[in-house]
Amino acid sequence: MGNPIDINYTLVAQVLSFLALVWVVSKFAWTPLMNVMEQRRQGIEDTLAQATKERQQAEQIKREYQEEMKKARQEAQALISKAMKVGEERAAEILAGAHEEAEKLKVSALADIQRERDQAIADVKAQVADLSVAVAEKLIQQKLDYVGQEQLIEQFIQEVGEM
Amino acid sequence: MHEETVYWYLGNMTFNARTLVMTWIAIALMLLFVFLGVRRLTSGKPGKMQNILEWVVDFVGKLISDNMDLDKARPLFGYLLTLIMFIFFSNMLGLLPNITFNAFEYFHVETAHLNKIFEGDSMMSPTADINTTLALAILTIIIVIVMGIKHKGIHYFHHFIEPYPVFLPIHAIDMLSKPMTLAFRLFGNIFAGEVLIKVILMLPGIWVLPGIIPDTIWLGFSVFVGAIQSFVFTVLTTAYVAQAVSESH
Repeated sequence: MGNPIDINYTLVAQVLSFLALVWVVSKFAWTPLMNVMEQRRQGIEDTLAQATKERQQAEQIKREYQEEMKKARQEAQALISKAMKVGEERAAEILAGAHEEAEKLKVSALADIQRERDQAIADVKAQVADLSVAVAEKLIQQKLDYVGQEQLIEQFIQEVGEM
Repeated sequence: MHEETVYWYLGNMTFNARTLVMTWIAIALMLLFVFLGVRRLTSGKPGKMQNILEWVVDFVGKLISDNMDLDKARPLFGYLLTLIMFIFFSNMLGLLPNITFNAFEYFHVETAHLNKIFEGDSMMSPTADINTTLALAILTIIIVIVMGIKHKGIHYFHHFIEPYPVFLPIHAIDMLSKPMTLAFRLFGNIFAGEVLIKVILMLPGIWVLPGIIPDTIWLGFSVFVGAIQSFVFTVLTTAYVAQAVSESH
């Protein structure tokens, strides 16, 4: 075994061998491998960005839905309260109308009654006058028939009672 | 232990044959590992091997981004990944037993000294040769200078004479010492580890406790050392580049 530190043309051969190795491995291994790793990195980045975007969209949609639901609920509430108000108003109106009608009916009924009574009284008065005349006639017809007086009075009273 | 350095000659150029063969084995193992990982690439659920590679990429990416702007280091990413994995595989190769079981020797295959290259008890780490580590260190310092010029233009050389021109020698030594420390640290660690393995295997009573227990312990520790050294080499390369491209000085 000679001197281990013996520099000769092996040095040149090693430089060339190593450069050839670098070239071959870079061309056929490192470059494709790094491309693949870069692709994967890009893919993961894209997926993450996509996921973030989709989540934002989902949140946006959720917010819109909530907004819409709130609005719908408010509208429904408004509708219900409006309907209730209308109903109450309508009920009050009907009630008021009914009261008025009843009042009117009552007034007209009272007026009718009054009129009937007046009529009746007038009729009675007329009849009494007629009867009085009739009694007077009968009295005059039987003026001398003293005996028949009591009978006459009885008859008159009966006639009045029948009226 | 009669291993001697095996040389290949091409014209008037001399090569350390074992180092070259072991480098190619390490490269082959690393390519196998890496291509198993990228065989079925998917950006969905990765397989086991792809997972390991992605872990390595993340690890080195983290290491770079701790030191400098990752965008500036983008063209270096592949280099640094290859660097850490190559050094790791190289360091681990020396811990394997001789996987040829001296078959070349047995069948008297003497083509290109293959019988001598694969003799001995274990394989050899390419990084246990100063030529390999120095080659990587020189590449590092070239990258440092190139990146410095790329990001700062001619102003990059200005830092050699800061705060005063008399500091030029110090900066020059700094510039030289960077690749030297890188090269010698890695070489020293791995070479020493292999020497110690050989020494342990020379202990008397190899087939009983005295040899096996220290060998096991030392192999385990060498895995640790090998991993740490590949990490250190990469971190320092990153740090030197970061220093060269950083805005303030």
